[in-house]
Amino acid sequence: MRATHLIVAIGIGAALLSATATVRGQEERGAANRAASSRPWPPQRLADGQPDVQGVWAAVNAGSTSLTNPISGGEDFDRRVTGENIRRPSRIIDPPDGLLPYQPWAAAKQKQQESDYEHPTKPEHIDTQHRCLLSGIPRLYTIVPSYRIIQTPGSVIFVWDEYHAYRVVPLDGRPHVAPDVKLWMGDARGHWEGNTLIVDTTNMRGARLTYIGDFYSQNAHVVERMTFVDADTMTYEATVDDPTVFTRPWTMRIGQKRRPDEETWESACWEGNPNPDVWLKK
Amino acid sequence: MRLRLPSFLILVAVVWTHPSAAAAQAPATSAIPRTSDGKPDLSGIWQAMNTAAWDLQDHAAQKGVPGGPGVVEGNEIPYKPEALEQKKKNYEQRATLDPEAKCYLPGVPRITYMPHPFQIIQKQNDLTILYEYVHTVRYIFANGTPHPKGPIEWWLGDSRGRWEGDTLVVDVVHFNDQTWFDRAGNFHSDALHVVERYSLVDPDHINYTVTIEDPKVFTRPWNMNMVLYRHKEKNFQLYEYECYGFDFEKLYPYPELGGAR
Repeated sequence: MRATHLIVAIGIGAALLSATATVRGQEERGAANRAASSRPWPPQRLADGQPDVQGVWAAVNAGSTSLTNPISGGEDFDRRVTGENIRRPSRIIDPPDGLLPYQPWAAAKQKQQESDYEHPTKPEHIDTQHRCLLSGIPRLYTIVPSYRIIQTPGSVIFVWDEYHAYRVVPLDGRPHVAPDVKLWMGDARGHWEGNTLIVDTTNMRGARLTYIGDFYSQNAHVVERMTFVDADTMTYEATVDDPTVFTRPWTMRIGQKRRPDEETWESACWEGNPNPDVWLKK
Repeated sequence: MRLRLPSFLILVAVVWTHPSAAAAQAPATSAIPRTSDGKPDLSGIWQAMNTAAWDLQDHAAQKGVPGGPGVVEGNEIPYKPEALEQKKKNYEQRATLDPEAKCYLPGVPRITYMPHPFQIIQKQNDLTILYEYVHTVRYIFANGTPHPKGPIEWWLGDSRGRWEGDTLVVDVVHFNDQTWFDRAGNFHSDALHVVERYSLVDPDHINYTVTIEDPKVFTRPWNMNMVLYRHKEKNFQLYEYECYGFDFEKLYPYPELGGAR
C-alpha cells in the first residue's frame, strides 16, 4: 500500500510540477477562445498542397498507464484505493485479442517491469517519463499534455507542451539518417495520402510504452497513420514492428481532439525537480 | 615612418577599388527570402560560428576551449564592483557552478550561440524556435500582445516580437537568476531584460544583436553582435543532444538488448 501511494505521489507530483506554467497560461487567456474551433472542413490547402491541420491537439482518454487497459491516472488511483478492477477497451486493435504479442521472454520482462514499477528499489525501476526523459513515439501521443502541430513547406512539426519534446517530420522523401544513429525521438519521414499523414520512423532507441513496463527495443520500426476525419478530430494509429521483442507487428489506436489554440508557455521538467530516486524503497 | 594619406583620399580609393560595394547592398536586401505578407522570412536551420558559448569576451584558447574574438561591443561587460567579484568566483568554479553542467535550459541569449544548430519556424503571428540542445523549444509571440503580468521566473523568459522595418525585434523578460551567459561565469539576475534583433543581410546570414540590461548586475546596458549562418548541407536536420539523458543511458532503455551506442 505504501508503495502504491508513493507511485501515485510521483505521478501527481510530476504532473503538477510540470503543468504549473501551462495552467496559468490557460487561466489567463483561456476564457476568450475556449469554444471549439470553427475551422473549415474539408481543410484548406497550404501552398505546398498539404491539408492545413495546424493547432493544438491532445489524446482522448489519455494516459500512459497501460495500452491494453488504458485507465486514466485518476482511475488508476481509484483502483489502488478501492482495490476494484477497472476495465477500459484496449488500444490494441491488432492482434484482435487486444493484447501485445510479446515473445515469452519479453512477456516475462514486462511482468517484471510492472512489478518493479509497483515496488521500485533500483534507479531503473523509475519510469523514464518521471525522469523527464523523452518518451518517444508512439507514447507521446498517449500522454495527457497537448501538442501543437505546425506545418511548413515540406514538413510537419509536432511540439509537445511538456518534456521539451518536439519532432520534425520531413515530407520530401529524403533517406533516413545512418542506421547506427539512435535517437530518443527516432528519425521520422512522412507523406500525405489525402487527409492522412503517414509517418515512417526508424533509428529508435528502445523505449518504455507504459508505466506498467510495456516496451520495445532499438530494432522497432514504427509506421503511424494520423487520419484527420473532421476539423477537430484525428485518429492516431501506430503499427510497431519489432522482431526482437514481439512475435508479430501490432497496431494501436487512440483518438485525438483539437484543443483551444492558446499560447504555450515554458515547461521546465528536469530543471530543479526533485530526484525521483528519493522514492525508491530501501 | 608610415606614409599618411589625407582621409578623403583613402575614401576615394576605397570607393574606387570597390565600385560594386554600394550597389551590391540594395539587391542583397531585396533578395532575402520573404513571407507572403512581405516580412523577411527567418525560417531555416541556423547556427552561430563563434566562441561565445565558451566566453563572450576576447579570449585565447585553453585545452578544450577554442580561442576567438569576443562578441561584446567594446569587449567590456560593465559589471558593478560586487558583481564583478561574483563573476570571478563563477569563473574559478565554472566546472561545477555553470548551469549548463547540470543540463538546465540555458536561457536567452545563451541558447542562440550554443555550439548546436537550431531551427526557426516563422508564422505571421509567432515564431517557433526548436533548438537541438536538449530539445529546447521557444515561442516568440509576434501578434502585438504584451508580456504576461509578472512576476514570473522562466528559464528562457517571455519573448514578444515585433517588426521594425526588416528587423525582428524581440523583447524578453521574466527570467530567473539561474542561468549564465557563457561557460566563463558571466551572469545576470532575475531583473534581466534582453532585446534581440534579427536581421537577414542576405539569404544565408542573420545579423544578430542583443542588448542586455540588468540594473542589479550591470552599471549600464551593453550589446553583443554576431552573425548566424544558415545550414546549407543537403538534407541537413537537427539531431539530438539530450544532455541529462546521457547519464541515464546505462539504465535506459534496455542496454541488454543492445541499447544505443
